[in-house]
Amino acid sequence: MAQTSIGLRNLQLGLKAQDRLSSLLSHLILLFFTVIVGYPVLWMFMGAFKTGGEIMGDPWGLPKSLALTNFSSAWEFASLGPALRNSLIVASATVFFVLVIAALAGYALARFRLRFSVAIFLLFILTMQAPVPIIPLYVLISKIGLVNTLPGLILPTVANGLPLSIFIFRAFFRQIPSELIDAAVVDGTTRFGAFWRIVLPISTPAIATVGILQFLGAWNDFFNPLVLLHSANMRTLPVAIQSFSYTFGRTNWEQVFAALSIGSLPMIIVYLMLQRWFVQGLTSGAVKG
Amino acid sequence: MATSLTASKTPWFLYLWIVPALGLYAIFKLLPLFAGLFLSLLRWDGIKDPVFVGLLNYQRMATDDQLGPALLHNLQYGVGTVIGKILIALLLAVLLNQALRGQTFYRTILFMPVVLSFVVISILWTWLYNDQFGLINSLLRSVHLDSLAVQWLGDTKYALLSLIIVDIWKWYGFHMVIFIAALQSIPQEYYEAARVDGASRWAQFVSITLPQLQPVMVVNITLALLGAFNVFDIPYIMTNGGPAGSTNVLALYSYSQAFQFGKFGYGAAISYALLTLVSIVAVIQLRVVASDEIDTN
Repeated sequence: MAQTSIGLRNLQLGLKAQDRLSSLLSHLILLFFTVIVGYPVLWMFMGAFKTGGEIMGDPWGLPKSLALTNFSSAWEFASLGPALRNSLIVASATVFFVLVIAALAGYALARFRLRFSVAIFLLFILTMQAPVPIIPLYVLISKIGLVNTLPGLILPTVANGLPLSIFIFRAFFRQIPSELIDAAVVDGTTRFGAFWRIVLPISTPAIATVGILQFLGAWNDFFNPLVLLHSANMRTLPVAIQSFSYTFGRTNWEQVFAALSIGSLPMIIVYLMLQRWFVQGLTSGAVKG
Repeated sequence: MATSLTASKTPWFLYLWIVPALGLYAIFKLLPLFAGLFLSLLRWDGIKDPVFVGLLNYQRMATDDQLGPALLHNLQYGVGTVIGKILIALLLAVLLNQALRGQTFYRTILFMPVVLSFVVISILWTWLYNDQFGLINSLLRSVHLDSLAVQWLGDTKYALLSLIIVDIWKWYGFHMVIFIAALQSIPQEYYEAARVDGASRWAQFVSITLPQLQPVMVVNITLALLGAFNVFDIPYIMTNGGPAGSTNVLALYSYSQAFQFGKFGYGAAISYALLTLVSIVAVIQLRVVASDEIDTN
């Protein structure tokens, strides 16, 4: 008896030591990857404060001063002000329209017995992964006279974001117990009234998921704005940064770093504030899609 | 206006709920999609009048000696990024699934590249890869590994690999959180039962964790694969297909044929061939997922 209990205790101690070792190992591996991820970004921000000479001579060191000269030069030469404004408008409008249109469609597909539901599903599933060929899109947008305008960019972006968003909303709305809605309908509310007053207020997770996914996609979109927007003051942020880096990348490195830093700061801030929603949103978006 | 709950016919105005969605989608996604198909049957340089050439563009693809390498690069890209992303994502997900301290901190930082813009990441990494002032080479030189300090983006042997690394760096966090969500839904009883039976941690991983992760694994692999076939931004910004075409991928080739060489019809044909390829992969994924669901139901 005594031998078994000693044996057991040794086993437990052994396991504890093994646990502590594996925990240490886990931390090391995690830290390793954290550095691989975090340091380049840190390096980018540090580079924005350095002068060109510092970047060449001392890639590792900390910047000598915290002067903001690079930032103001980049802001001016890359037209970052208008670019920031345009990105904000495009992303916000995309989110707004996708939310409204996809929520209505998702609700209808979830709760009304519509005749073509299956056909609509198949259509979405088969076509949603396909990227829209840019030349016909350009021709279309120019035929309706919206080239080089923000709505000309917003409309295709919204259209592209609809299938996944509709799926997310539909899946969410299907889970709402029918009793909740039936009770309201019996009381004399219209279907829309039930939707607006009962279902929507409890739909925050779905709204957050769709909102974040669409915001992220629209904000970081590079290709469509590249082709559909021409003039420097209509560009969105990614295009402005890329064009600036392309033109000045060989000579004004420090300003390029500053431009990159300005470009990524908004998204980083939003991400840090809403980070839980980001993770949740992208996870459920991927699984549903 | 309360409608009877047992009405069998759906009132017409309920279809209005989906009209905006269908309308927008039809005009701004489906229309260009099908118009592009028609475009691939033309020869057009964007300025003169288009000429109908039937399937000529598709025939030309069979003899185009730049197409094969581009496709090969997509495949290499696919293999490289899928393996890299899945392995790293799985490893980190398993590590983060334990009740470690600082979990949220790790997860926050590790996930961050996913939300950064492609443009910022591509330009930043172009800088990291700079063979003279870049961080990577100066690091290698400072530990006397000078021979490893190659021209990451300038050497045809390494350029594609360099792009693959950037892609993995950006996206592994995405696959990681999907794995984490799946890991957290595995019932603990399975592991406890295994531990009582004396199974080692590795055995538990192989016989419980991996099988439970199979559906999510399919999702992750498919998403990564689709991304590898459609990849455009990273090669465009970092190397523009060079050096010497060693990083040319199908999406980039389609773009350059259209916008650099004025062969809009041919460019469209290439993008449709790519689309077909991608659709096949997507359909395979659907089949696998559907059969899984049928099994578990």
